[in-house]
Amino acid sequence: MIVQALMFYVFAAVAVAGAVMVISARNPVHSVLYLILVFFNAAGLFLLLGAEFLAMMLVIVYVGAVAVLFLFVVMMLDINTLRLREGFLQYLPTGAVVGLILLVELAMAGGGWVFASDVEELRAVPVLSEISNTEALGRVMYTDYLYPFQTAGVVLLVAMVGSIMLTLRRRPDARRQNIAAQLARHKKDTLEIKKVPSGGGI
Amino acid sequence: MLDITIGHYLTVGAVLFTLGVVGIFLNRKNVIIVLMSVELMLLAVNLNMISFSSFLGDLAGQVFSMLILTVAAAEAAIGLAIVVVFFRVRGTIAVEDINQMKG
Amino acid sequence: MEDTLREYLPILIFLVIAVAMAVGMLVMSYIVVPQHPDSEKDSAYECGFEAFEDARVKFDVRFYLVAILFIVFDLEVAFLFPWAITLGKIGMFGFWSMVVFLAILTVGFIYEWKKGALEWE
Repeated sequence: MIVQALMFYVFAAVAVAGAVMVISARNPVHSVLYLILVFFNAAGLFLLLGAEFLAMMLVIVYVGAVAVLFLFVVMMLDINTLRLREGFLQYLPTGAVVGLILLVELAMAGGGWVFASDVEELRAVPVLSEISNTEALGRVMYTDYLYPFQTAGVVLLVAMVGSIMLTLRRRPDARRQNIAAQLARHKKDTLEIKKVPSGGGI
Repeated sequence: MLDITIGHYLTVGAVLFTLGVVGIFLNRKNVIIVLMSVELMLLAVNLNMISFSSFLGDLAGQVFSMLILTVAAAEAAIGLAIVVVFFRVRGTIAVEDINQMKG
Repeated sequence: MEDTLREYLPILIFLVIAVAMAVGMLVMSYIVVPQHPDSEKDSAYECGFEAFEDARVKFDVRFYLVAILFIVFDLEVAFLFPWAITLGKIGMFGFWSMVVFLAILTVGFIYEWKKGALEWE
């Protein structure tokens, strides 16, 4: 129990500190690396909450793919790092005030809130203790939550088609290898053998 | 202090969400960090979903959290694709330079 | 909840050991190694590369497209794991719902294939 509480404080503190560094780091590459740190610690928090599958998914999908994508883009666009920092202090008061107001609002909402008395009966999918988290998710996701699941598929399709539409550019001047055409070439289409009489010329 | 309640997790979620909002305000010169701030906000939402799911013993929150993860990944992919195309056309990624409908 | 967390205790111990080793190596290399900095040591030898230069080089957008397609299929595989575990419990309905999901993504796969996004010219 003590270890659990200790780990919560470690994960939460590192996650919040990492988030501060994400938005204030001078170099965008450092921002991405701090974002990875935040995701790792959030995965730790998810584990403490018992959501094992989502913790692993966060590590696989976010750290393994999304953070790499961010890193790619930061490295791909060669941007002047100094110019990016202009106006940071100028916007700091506005950002701080808005953030503070939002935090106070969230604290007020969090303070004056209680669970409903019939919260036990209102559960949509009660957690069973004898099966693992991943199995429990699998039992409901593909049947009870069919429409959200298929919507996720469509969202992924849109992401795929959209990113291809936006970034794919064919180069008309690039020479491509057409393997089928190469294999279909026949000797009699391209090569002609002529008998040349000796001394007569062509 | 050693008894971790739902309030502790909600506080972490609220702080992460606020940091995401502040990050959008601070980084007006760099769309990539704005996108990272949006990811932070979605992470905070996920944390809220999962903490309620865990403390109420209801798995529906985790199912929706998975869908949020999917949408966040798709959003990052499309958003970064737009950033790349915009940089190719205009040579900048500052938010305030994005002020024309037709670049 | 307590029991599942207990199973993760070895991972926690591994993490602590890994961090301790990494920090230890960095600190030890500062303490033990003799350091005599010299500007000639840092400069490039004859026509070698500069030791410190800007790491950002423009590279082809194609790498980026491959990364995006990797994200999409990574998520698809992540959705497959719970399905594989519970296939015996969710019956034919669950099976066909996953087949529809895979079919939707296959449409995207055919699109990118036909568009030539996978070709490296």
